[in-house]
Amino acid sequence: MILKLKQEIIEVLNLEDVKPEDIDNDAPLFGEGLGLDSIDALELIVLMEKNYGIKLQDPAKGKEIFKSINVMADYIQKNRTR
Amino acid sequence: MAQDLKIRIYSARQISIQEPLQESWMDAPLTYTDGYVRAVDPDFKQFVSAGDARRMGRLLKRAIATSVSALQEGGVDMPDAIITGTGFGSVENTELFLDALVREGEQMLKPTQFMQSTHNTASSLIGIHTHCHGYNSTYSQKGLSFDCALYDAWLQFRMGKIGSALVGAHDEMSSVFSEFMRKAKHVREGEICSEAAISVLLGTDESKPAYCTLDGLKLLNRPTSQELSDAIHSLTDGCKLCGVMTGMSGNRENDSWYGFLNELIPDVPLLSYKQIFGVNFSSSATGLYAAACCLKKGQIPACLTRNGAPVRTDGGILLVNIVDGRHYSISLLKSLCGNY
Amino acid sequence: MANDRSVLITGYGIVSAIGLNVSEVLDSLLANRTGIGSIKYLKTGHTEFPVGEVKLTDGEMERMMGIAPGTPTTRTALMGMIALHEALASAGMGAGDIEKAAFINGTTVGGMDKSEQYYLDFIENNSHDAYISTHDCGSCSEMIADRMGRFKYISTISTACSSAANAIGQAAAMIRLGDVDIVVAGGSECITKFHLNGFNSLMILDHDQCRPFDAGRAGLNLGEGAAFLVLESRESAQRRGVKPLAVLSGYGNACDAFHQTASSPNGEGAYLSMTKALADAGLNPSDIDYINAHGTGTPNNDVSESQAMRRVFGTSLPPVSSTKSLTGHTTSASGAIEAVICLMALKHGFIPANYAFENAMEDCVTPVDKVLKGVSLNHVLCNSFGFGGNDSSLIISRAE
Repeated sequence: MILKLKQEIIEVLNLEDVKPEDIDNDAPLFGEGLGLDSIDALELIVLMEKNYGIKLQDPAKGKEIFKSINVMADYIQKNRTR
Repeated sequence: MAQDLKIRIYSARQISIQEPLQESWMDAPLTYTDGYVRAVDPDFKQFVSAGDARRMGRLLKRAIATSVSALQEGGVDMPDAIITGTGFGSVENTELFLDALVREGEQMLKPTQFMQSTHNTASSLIGIHTHCHGYNSTYSQKGLSFDCALYDAWLQFRMGKIGSALVGAHDEMSSVFSEFMRKAKHVREGEICSEAAISVLLGTDESKPAYCTLDGLKLLNRPTSQELSDAIHSLTDGCKLCGVMTGMSGNRENDSWYGFLNELIPDVPLLSYKQIFGVNFSSSATGLYAAACCLKKGQIPACLTRNGAPVRTDGGILLVNIVDGRHYSISLLKSLCGNY
Repeated sequence: MANDRSVLITGYGIVSAIGLNVSEVLDSLLANRTGIGSIKYLKTGHTEFPVGEVKLTDGEMERMMGIAPGTPTTRTALMGMIALHEALASAGMGAGDIEKAAFINGTTVGGMDKSEQYYLDFIENNSHDAYISTHDCGSCSEMIADRMGRFKYISTISTACSSAANAIGQAAAMIRLGDVDIVVAGGSECITKFHLNGFNSLMILDHDQCRPFDAGRAGLNLGEGAAFLVLESRESAQRRGVKPLAVLSGYGNACDAFHQTASSPNGEGAYLSMTKALADAGLNPSDIDYINAHGTGTPNNDVSESQAMRRVFGTSLPPVSSTKSLTGHTTSASGAIEAVICLMALKHGFIPANYAFENAMEDCVTPVDKVLKGVSLNHVLCNSFGFGGNDSSLIISRAE
């Protein structure tokens, strides 16, 4: 599931030069690590809804949930409706 | 107001249906038979990192690439103004967002596509890329967009507000939108629907090498014959011309608008660039770029002339762009060593 | 900057959520009556968002302008025509005057209200082909201008939310340099599904009435409308025998150069546009009597703009209000709609309220929360900040 999630993130954010194995599961996704920004966070919110049926109303909550791949995967497992 | 204000074109760079970021088109232009042709893109990696490029469509990557090249060639790190023209903005992102909206509904739409679809994205992105806090604006007036942007730069120079300006025109196409262009007669029968990204760096520093000078610019809506004649005379009186760079394209309706030149400026060769660069809302920028290249080289190549013979640039080049038979843009470029 | 060509404002027109003309808008401002409410005119599934719509159907606008039914028009163009018509009448402009004038319009959506309805038809059949040529921004401006006469020059600026402000700034430059005697400048924008959904995807829309600068603010409410100013040289105004209503005394344009949709934390672009406008007008910050803020109600803009205002004005910060809680955020038209509001404030001696403001917050300025009447204003600053960091500021001054 982690691999699938990484592939989805790479595709949705158009991270052309990044491979799933390049992304450390515990590394921060925002700021350092992958260096994503607020627009990427919004794209991930759309991804969560489209692929996993999770609707996030508050963009600020996104920063916590998208802290790392592991944190994100954990949240999806607990809240997915698809 | 500086009477002897001399505005120089330091550099000009293009990505179009000709080989990108170079002038090989002058001797060996690529030729096409298709009605819809996409631009030839360079390797963008030398201009934009993969990280930055992740949310840039083609139009934005081309805008950055041509801008960075023009700044490098012109020897300016940060221009005082960044002004662009675009007729349709980012077609790629507009289409993706609109398509999803119309076909899939009003849910789960992608913010990046919306964000990058606004017309001023290119101009502001160039500002972000060059860390430039200077004057920044975007014009969208169909085939007159670049001319409006250039006129704005012209105003800023004359007010003494700026010493340099990066003026660009960026338009891209898709096969869906190319059909729209034809249906709306923005591209006419016999014309190639194309794409173009042009960045021109202008300034007033006389110590900098330059292609040519920009000596004047007039923009008119539905002028009377007298107003048109007055505009042309005000620019060209006392100046020898070696050519008139027109927006003629081979289409009868379009070309008929330029008929008045035969009377008003007889004996000066009429030139055209649409057979080389195709037709899009940024076409007039390709005309200015082509004319500037001619003055830099000292010769108008055969591919731009009507009779297929090259012409020596022993005079200025008048640019005449006519949009929809009603908007006229007339400007004059002169060689640096021009004493005509 | 020393200039011997003042830019006079000799007329204006407006159509917005708080009124269909100058008189109605003035009434609403003085009564502090918001035009924001639930969506009635736009056909969208997103009825949860309050908006500031112009209270007219397209059909009603067509009849107002005497347009034959079946003529391809777009909502943005129709609103523009109404506002332009009023502006020209207020400046006493006839056909001959129009021919001496340039027209600069600010718009970003253009004819998208029709394109989003007919997009599949454009692709699949010929039933609505007439609307393909009404899609782009430039065509929209032509439709508005051509309705009134033959302008000398037509141009369209598209810098998102600062479009109309930049149109007014350009007009001032053209008049100062003597290229033209009269320029009609402003902007027009209708609400479309395209940008309602676009802003929603950026999660910056408030589900309730927006509250600029308020501690509990949660985003913006979209609005629509159009407004135009008639700007003129003193010589031309004298020749035509029209009195100046005010002076466009300063304009500043700067790029935030930070991010496509967010403003920098220290409001650099805003700081620069205000500073440039003051320098252009030859004024000190302490000369400004009122600031009509961009004040969209988003957490980001309001704190960024507050920071910038504090940097410019320090301890001499004048009264501030955002009128977007009355009109909604009219995007490309906002610079002109808010300039007209500033003109009314100057003329009638009042400061409009920052409607819906309740709770102050340390990182934001505290705006005026009720209409202040009986004030004498000399210089008013009006901010318009667009996506991509296209930041612009106008200064409008009392005519001597």
